[in-house]
Amino acid sequence: MATAETRRLTAPDRLRRSLSNGRVSAALILLPPALILFTLFVMLPLGESVWYSFFSWNGYGTPTDYVGLENYQRIAGHSVFHTAVGNTLKIVAISILLQMPLALLLALLIYRKTPTNAVFRLIFFVPYILAEVAAGLIWSFVFDGNYGVTASIAQSLGTESFFILADRDWAFVAVMTVIVWKYFGFHMMIYIAALQSVPEDLIEAARIEGAKRRQIVRYVQIPHIKPAIIVSAFFAIIGALQVFDIIIPLTNGGPSNQTHTIVTYLYTFGLTRLNIGFGSAVGVILFIAAITVAVFYQRFFMQRGQA
Amino acid sequence: MAEVRLQNVEKAFGNLTVIPDMTLTVPDGSFTVLVGPSGCGKSTLLRIISGLEMPTKGEVLIGGQDVTLEEPSDRGISMVFQSYALYPHMTVAQNIDFGLRLAKTPAEERERRVAEAARILALEDFLDRKPAQLSGGQRQRVAIGRSIVRQPGVFLFDEPLSNLDAALRTQMRVELAQLHQSLDATMIYVTHDQVEAMTLADQIVVMNKGRIEQVGAPMDLYDHPETEFVAGFIGSPRMNLLPGSAIGREDVNTVGVRPEHIRADTADGDWPATAQVVETLGADTILYAKAERIGDVTVRLPGHMRLSAGEPLFLTPDPDYLHLFDEGGRRVNAA
Ligand SMILES: Nc1ncnc2c1ncn2[C@@H]1O[C@H](COP(=O)(O)OP(=O)(O)OP(=O)(O)O)[C@@H](O)[C@H]1O
Ligand SMILES: [Mg+2]
Repeated sequence: MATAETRRLTAPDRLRRSLSNGRVSAALILLPPALILFTLFVMLPLGESVWYSFFSWNGYGTPTDYVGLENYQRIAGHSVFHTAVGNTLKIVAISILLQMPLALLLALLIYRKTPTNAVFRLIFFVPYILAEVAAGLIWSFVFDGNYGVTASIAQSLGTESFFILADRDWAFVAVMTVIVWKYFGFHMMIYIAALQSVPEDLIEAARIEGAKRRQIVRYVQIPHIKPAIIVSAFFAIIGALQVFDIIIPLTNGGPSNQTHTIVTYLYTFGLTRLNIGFGSAVGVILFIAAITVAVFYQRFFMQRGQA
Repeated sequence: MAEVRLQNVEKAFGNLTVIPDMTLTVPDGSFTVLVGPSGCGKSTLLRIISGLEMPTKGEVLIGGQDVTLEEPSDRGISMVFQSYALYPHMTVAQNIDFGLRLAKTPAEERERRVAEAARILALEDFLDRKPAQLSGGQRQRVAIGRSIVRQPGVFLFDEPLSNLDAALRTQMRVELAQLHQSLDATMIYVTHDQVEAMTLADQIVVMNKGRIEQVGAPMDLYDHPETEFVAGFIGSPRMNLLPGSAIGREDVNTVGVRPEHIRADTADGDWPATAQVVETLGADTILYAKAERIGDVTVRLPGHMRLSAGEPLFLTPDPDYLHLFDEGGRRVNAA
């Protein structure tokens, strides 16, 4: 059609278009269930927690003893909480600096589809499948200086047995070892899936151009799986904020409260001591931390058209 | 000097022998085209020359050197893949530069060579783009640019133009021919396309089931196919291969006659026939006819012939252009 002026698409045009192509109606149909579930299971409990966190309350009856921000002040001043936050940060650091490189290295070794690799993949993935509590129990046996594996090793070396989980300085190192052992398989699987999607042509082209194995990894494979690495780091950070059930059977936060994470801190000082108001305040802090991390992470790492 | 020689090369994958025993010389500076049906081992052969695959037996020599055990990067070759195989996270310039960077070429030299390649391939305006932001033809040029900056003695191409549309393919074909002239390197080129093979090659290698059927200049193969297979493979539309007994040549098994060497006439001729399908292509007309007692015959007629399906007519082959083959499909030279 030959009109004098070229037609421009205006905002109402676009609205009409999205109404007619069904996107709006899809949103109208699909959004309510998600919103209802989200409200019911996230927003309401969160609101309640915020509410409880202003009370000194043992969980029975209705909270009446309004204390304002006192719970938060107590948390802020509590040295065990500082240790717990520090431990959580240590887990983040060890996950990113040790666990992820280890997972990547193993993934690079076994990502190709061969029968032997399938066996190794399974072996490395077993710790992740195991229930956290079971893993904790297995390792508490390994670390046991009286009857466990450590005892046997010490005995055969003829040295005095040691109790790493009871050592103020080393207990958390042991805990982090178990965490790395437990979760590296998960990251490894993400990398394996990503590495399998790197076109073989690219690797062959690089070989022809003189790239050695290391250079292929560095210049072809890693850049190609960068989105997967970013996602796995995100899981590592969020996971670190949630570590709980592996610590309880291992150390239960001890010795002298040296191995708490934020969640075991919440559990120990909030729930087991019936300080529900206090525990709620820890929960609110944890929630804010998680949301902040998620939002910042999305914003800075996951949105720049990484594909 | 970068002559490529394969000496009794065998390649098997497990117990599937893809190339049983191949000996082939690709002369220095030649443009050699490998053609053959799908699955006959063309890509495998190219990959053996490149070093991406190891032969199970035999030797590969490049420029007189035995390179059978050398890494791909030490063979002085480069390869252009059908899929282009560009690194998606690098810019065009980085893609072209990659091999030079790995070889620790001095920065100045690298810049010069990348600029030169970009000029030859008209990529100057795209150097900062990522491959995803390029058209198919531009990507193909980047892939070629990446292979020329390393100044290899031998270029290997595996169906490099097959993902392009017809017009672009024609254009790139001309560019490749020019590139070959200006670079003076050996090029080995796999294709399915008859026209690419005929126009680009100074030597065509026709392969079938991992064996060489015939090696020769394009017009040699066209004029003197040594086997029935080559006769049927080279030329489009394909040569008519007719049973000797049906056309009064009991002395041979098969008589081949190209569609352009048959005359069609409505009044008289050797073989009475009926027109089945008529394709008018403009410059020529392709006639698919059914000849009595002989079978389907394809005829290429110049210009417009006013023929319609079902029309009776007569076909006459040109006796000077008959190709005779024995039971084994080998050429019989008329005494
Ligand atoms: N890595 C491999 N493992 C097993 N068989 C293979 C392998 N690579 C190729 N083949 C087999 O070798 C034969 C030749 O393959 P090749 O890719 O060389 O054929 P081609 O002539 O290039 O075919 P096309 O024209 O379709 O590209 C095929 O039968 C193929 O299945
Ligand atoms: Mg192929």
